Amino acid sequence: MHIMEGFLPLHWCIVWWIVAIPCLILGMYQLKKVLATDREALPLLGVTGGFIFILSSLKLPSVTGSCSHPTGTGLSTISFGPWITAVVCAIVLLFQSMFLAHGGLSVLGANIVSMGVVGPVVGYMIYRLLRDTSVNIYITVFLVTAFADLFTYVMTSLELALAYPAETGGIGSSFILFMGIFAITQIPLAIVEGIVLALVFKYIVALKPDILIRLKIFSEKQINAARSDN
Amino acid sequence: MAYKYTLEILTVIAIGAFCALFLYTSATMNGAEFAGSDNVGSGLIGELSNTPLENFQPIIPQWEPPSTEIESCLFALQAAFGGILVGGVFGYWIGQTKKA
Repeated sequence: MHIMEGFLPLHWCIVWWIVAIPCLILGMYQLKKVLATDREALPLLGVTGGFIFILSSLKLPSVTGSCSHPTGTGLSTISFGPWITAVVCAIVLLFQSMFLAHGGLSVLGANIVSMGVVGPVVGYMIYRLLRDTSVNIYITVFLVTAFADLFTYVMTSLELALAYPAETGGIGSSFILFMGIFAITQIPLAIVEGIVLALVFKYIVALKPDILIRLKIFSEKQINAARSDN
Repeated sequence: MAYKYTLEILTVIAIGAFCALFLYTSATMNGAEFAGSDNVGSGLIGELSNTPLENFQPIIPQWEPPSTEIESCLFALQAAFGGILVGGVFGYWIGQTKKA
């Protein structure tokens, strides 16, 4: 999903930085608040952030004949919300742009908006929609993770379409072309990522249910119901 | 208890299906290079803007890994860092559970 350094016009780089910076400030404020309230949240942040590091480093082949990588943002989105996830993603994307030439500093704002903001916000909306229903919590984790991953790539397509509208068809036509490259490639990866992270969440539920209840990620009733199935 | 290992089984099936899909695609799709979608996307940017790719120069100068081997090494380092975090915390939690 990385937009490569130099491939986004300067004015669009500035626009996406303007969108990203308030999200990062809000994320850092929330992070400070969460860690001040409950120090036991720190290991959970380590696990959820760790999966962003791992999964975003894996380039996997897909049905379109190209490779792409999962984002791993689902667990962090459910546990800490989209703004703290944006901070973790910013660290990963900064590492990749400085040492791997994937992305770049000028386009970092755009990449943070797609991977750290829009994907997680979509995932978080699904989580809030399903959290207080009778839907199984692992199905919720699967859907949040898969859609957070997929919408990261939809947003990348939109960012590029806005900057490079097609001569015939304009932004809409360009968006469809970029979606064909980014989003279609991502569908099988998003499904597998959703299932794998649902499994990881099962082990978190088994080992550390108290932190999930204290952070009000799911209710005690939902966690106990999930534990009884384990 | 009936569903104890449902997620584990589903994960194995999903990964197996993903591998099978890759093998099928690579066998049937002639000319598939499995290049990064970032690079394919950059190619489309060049087409849409009628600009040769070499004309897209970094706005902020950027260090590039001198070879694909070093790039792979750095990607592995990133994954290893994540793995240490995840493994360390799960180990800490298991230790806490046993202690309790």
